Amino acid sequence: MTTNTAAEADVQKTGRPILEVLNVTKTYGEGHTAVTAVADASLSVEEGQFVSLLGPSGSGKTTLISMIGGLLTPTSGTIRLGDQMVSDMTKKELTSLRAERVGFVFQSSNLVPFLTARENLLYVASLPKNHNRKVAAKRADELLGELGLSDRANNIPEKLSGGERQRVAIGRALMNDPDLILVDEPTAALDTALGRQVVQLLAREVKQRGKTGIMVTHDLRMVEYTDQVFEILDGHLTKSDGTTPPAGH
Amino acid sequence: MMLAFAEIRRARGRFISIIGALALITFLVLTLSALSDGLFYGSTGAYRSSNANGYAFSSDAEGSLIRSRVPVTDVAKYQQIPGVTKASGVGVLLSSGTGPNGELDLAVFGIEPGGAGVPTTLTSGRLPEPGEDNAAAVDKTVVDKGAGIGSTIKVGDRAVTVVGVTQDSNYQLQPTIWTTVPTWRAMQSSVRPETRGLAPNYSAVALEFASGTTAASIPPVNGTAVLSTEEAALAIPGVKEQRSTLNSIIYTTLLVAALVVALFFALIVLEKRELFAALKALGTSTRRLANTVMTQALVASVIGVIIGIVASRILGLVLPAQVPTLFRTESLIQISIFTIVASVIGALFSLRRIARIDPATALGGALQ
Repeated sequence: MTTNTAAEADVQKTGRPILEVLNVTKTYGEGHTAVTAVADASLSVEEGQFVSLLGPSGSGKTTLISMIGGLLTPTSGTIRLGDQMVSDMTKKELTSLRAERVGFVFQSSNLVPFLTARENLLYVASLPKNHNRKVAAKRADELLGELGLSDRANNIPEKLSGGERQRVAIGRALMNDPDLILVDEPTAALDTALGRQVVQLLAREVKQRGKTGIMVTHDLRMVEYTDQVFEILDGHLTKSDGTTPPAGH
Repeated sequence: MMLAFAEIRRARGRFISIIGALALITFLVLTLSALSDGLFYGSTGAYRSSNANGYAFSSDAEGSLIRSRVPVTDVAKYQQIPGVTKASGVGVLLSSGTGPNGELDLAVFGIEPGGAGVPTTLTSGRLPEPGEDNAAAVDKTVVDKGAGIGSTIKVGDRAVTVVGVTQDSNYQLQPTIWTTVPTWRAMQSSVRPETRGLAPNYSAVALEFASGTTAASIPPVNGTAVLSTEEAALAIPGVKEQRSTLNSIIYTTLLVAALVVALFFALIVLEKRELFAALKALGTSTRRLANTVMTQALVASVIGVIIGIVASRILGLVLPAQVPTLFRTESLIQISIFTIVASVIGALFSLRRIARIDPATALGGALQ
């Protein structure tokens, strides 16, 4: 734990980014059938920053975010989260990394349908090796309160509205106090107004808690809530000022 | 654990179907096994309750008491053989008779009181004394049909008074009455006129061995063959065949149980592929998901088996006495364990599917 704290202190002093992606390439297949999903991508995000990753279907944005979140291993290049080299980890290490340091918000919330809102939060709390039930219960109640879900806590997802489900999903992503929050098309299943609220909420949580957030979206209207905008097209990542529509739109 | 039990509780409908299927399978297997045991025990009781270690049959009888006929002189010959401590003539007659409540199908055994081939399962009263030619002990199934100590049972023109009750001593599913050899002979000549002119004989010679002696080590007297009591029980026509037929049905049904559970969990896992991918992405290990499925299979099969046991016991209570069923605790425990093991094995097949689910598919979703 001491090295971790030292590293964090180091980040604050030097402004060293918490997430650093360097020359990452992901290729599927071999020989002349090989497809490069992500080519030589580099990006870095600092603590408290919420960035968006724009791109059309098949552009490689999902592949890139999957590698950052420890779901895929890059073919080459490095990914560093805090003091951990994500790109060097074994499958087993990646599983615990995701449980302990990464929060996910999926497109269609993907809550466990037979667990209540509160139990969905407690479930992820039970994943890290060292977990404390009492602390988890307290944190789940606090998060549900902050997200305005206190009176919905004992409902199963079926009984919640789409917006409420996404809020539970945000609570679930924050539950284990991760360093990195990955958000995949959070507005896909919501109407514009509700989508806006959800993204605003995400942006606020990321900033207040000093997390790092990356949001994959193809919805330009959502980028105003983010600090940096990256565009990806045919596997090539570029930093954008967010004012011009990305190619393909 | 959290996932396993929450799903059973909140998605009850689908688990009721698998529990119901396993309950029906358990019920079927237990009923078949009770029938198998009922047939076996009802057919072989006379042997299993006998104090004899072996029987000498005429060599052309293939171990069947009904077909066998040995001359009375063979008893003395067997008594001379080293290793034989007792040899007694035994007579068997399958015939109908008349009890207090009307006609009965009976197996009449003529025995030598105090000798070999005598039933050991007396529950009340006594066996006929030597020379007590008007008395008989009867199996409990005869009592169930209205007879009791003191009542009269008539076979042909010969009547005997019931002096004792034995249990689990039937022969070929026929209730037995145990009387003396002269009474048996008198009954036989009354209902089988063709036996009247024959020289006196027995059906077989019941043998008691000294310790260390086996049926195979006895040199048979000319024209006879010696079988151990267990071999003689299995040689009763139909016993082996019934047992192997019913057992193969039982094993096939257990195989069906494994397949049903395998199919059920294959479908469940298929249906939850998206959820399992998301849970893996969140950092759930494959092992934990596997434990969830195995716990569910175990819980479903234990509940199903318990319901199946209860249902089969209820059936056992309402079945008419003519249906030869026997619910043995030993068979029940064995079948319960087999069914649960079959279910767990069935569920194991879904683990490969769980392991193959790629957490990376949780991202991208419908838009990719």
